Amino acid sequence: MRLSNDKLRDALAAEYVLGTMSARARARFGVLLHSDPALRRAVADWERRLTPLAEALPESPPPARVWRRIHGRLFERSHTRGLWGSIAFWRFAALAAGAVALAIGLSSIDLREPAGQMVTIMSDVTTESPAMTVAWNADTPGGRVLRIRVIGHAEMAPDTAWELWMLPGGDKPPVSLGLITTHESQTLIVPESLAPRLDQAWGLAMSVEPEGGSPTGLPTGPVLYKGQCVRT
Amino acid sequence: MTPEQLISLLSRCALRDQQAFADLYRLSAPKLFAVAMRITRRKDWAEEVLQESYVNIWHHARAYDARKSAPMTWMTAIVRNRAFDLLRRPRETELGESQESLLASIPDDAPGPEESLRQAGDAARLADCLAKLSEEQQRSIRLAFFYGLSHGELAAKLDRPLGTIKTWIRRGLERLRRCLEGMG
Repeated sequence: MRLSNDKLRDALAAEYVLGTMSARARARFGVLLHSDPALRRAVADWERRLTPLAEALPESPPPARVWRRIHGRLFERSHTRGLWGSIAFWRFAALAAGAVALAIGLSSIDLREPAGQMVTIMSDVTTESPAMTVAWNADTPGGRVLRIRVIGHAEMAPDTAWELWMLPGGDKPPVSLGLITTHESQTLIVPESLAPRLDQAWGLAMSVEPEGGSPTGLPTGPVLYKGQCVRT
Repeated sequence: MTPEQLISLLSRCALRDQQAFADLYRLSAPKLFAVAMRITRRKDWAEEVLQESYVNIWHHARAYDARKSAPMTWMTAIVRNRAFDLLRRPRETELGESQESLLASIPDDAPGPEESLRQAGDAARLADCLAKLSEEQQRSIRLAFFYGLSHGELAAKLDRPLGTIKTWIRRGLERLRRCLEGMG
């Protein structure tokens, strides 16, 4: 898609900033933003116009744990990085893929987390090395917040999207959990209606799809990463 | 909290000053948490959004340009984008009932921002221009802005066809732009 029409460009930028775009349209627009400086200017203009609205909201102080987590992530990483960076660890990982889930689960996840912590180490299906981790708290009411970490510097081909799938196990078909990015750290929300099935899922997979996601509701492109869900 | 204060803190963050980052958080987080709460409507998600946003702000402080945008505008845009990304849902069809109950929990009218907006320059102009729109245009734009509702969700919420909602928003935004640029 190329935006030659200034008016269309401006209208789309306005809706992107306002937040009315559907998930698919937003994902497509995000791809365009990377390659279109005029579109980025249009978005910046609309941010300048509309964002002052937010100033009307009454302040709401976040709980203290938010700052502790931010501080922990930015300035106190050495205790988890040590293991991640160690060659011995990766040698061990390659030898004993089955044990890796537990090792990473213990090293990178706060031990104070309540029971029902789910973790999935997804491996690159060709190299078999760990490529992505997905963790969430199971057995709680409501939706699930998947905490996703992409390991290394993965790149997405132009005009494609990464779609995350839940593999229920048995003969049951995969169920889409949504589109993800190549960002090292990201979150994905899974609605409450899917939560019980997700907590029971056999595994997760990531496939390469056309931008905007699979048109059929089932994986259409190659599966790059795959892994089994483990309850810690 | 003045814009000058925030600009100075952001420029110190760009130099990796952790104390400046702590001060920036203390001054701006209550406002930004309110923004995240309003869109995600769940405390745990809003906390997640805030956490991701400040990590982003720290990493990208160097990219902030005071000539291009006010510091709060820049940070608010980061929070809103993270919130929309987090809300990104797998398939509209998978939502079913949970979406309906979510929509029902939103009040019919987003807060009228006018009163508190009448202080600052930019915000005051925005409030004046918003007030010139039709009632439907104002209402749909406010609901979209404050609660992050998509066209489809707005249509369900306001019980109007999708096309009508799109027209209200498109024309409303167009009028708003002309007004803000002093042409309407």
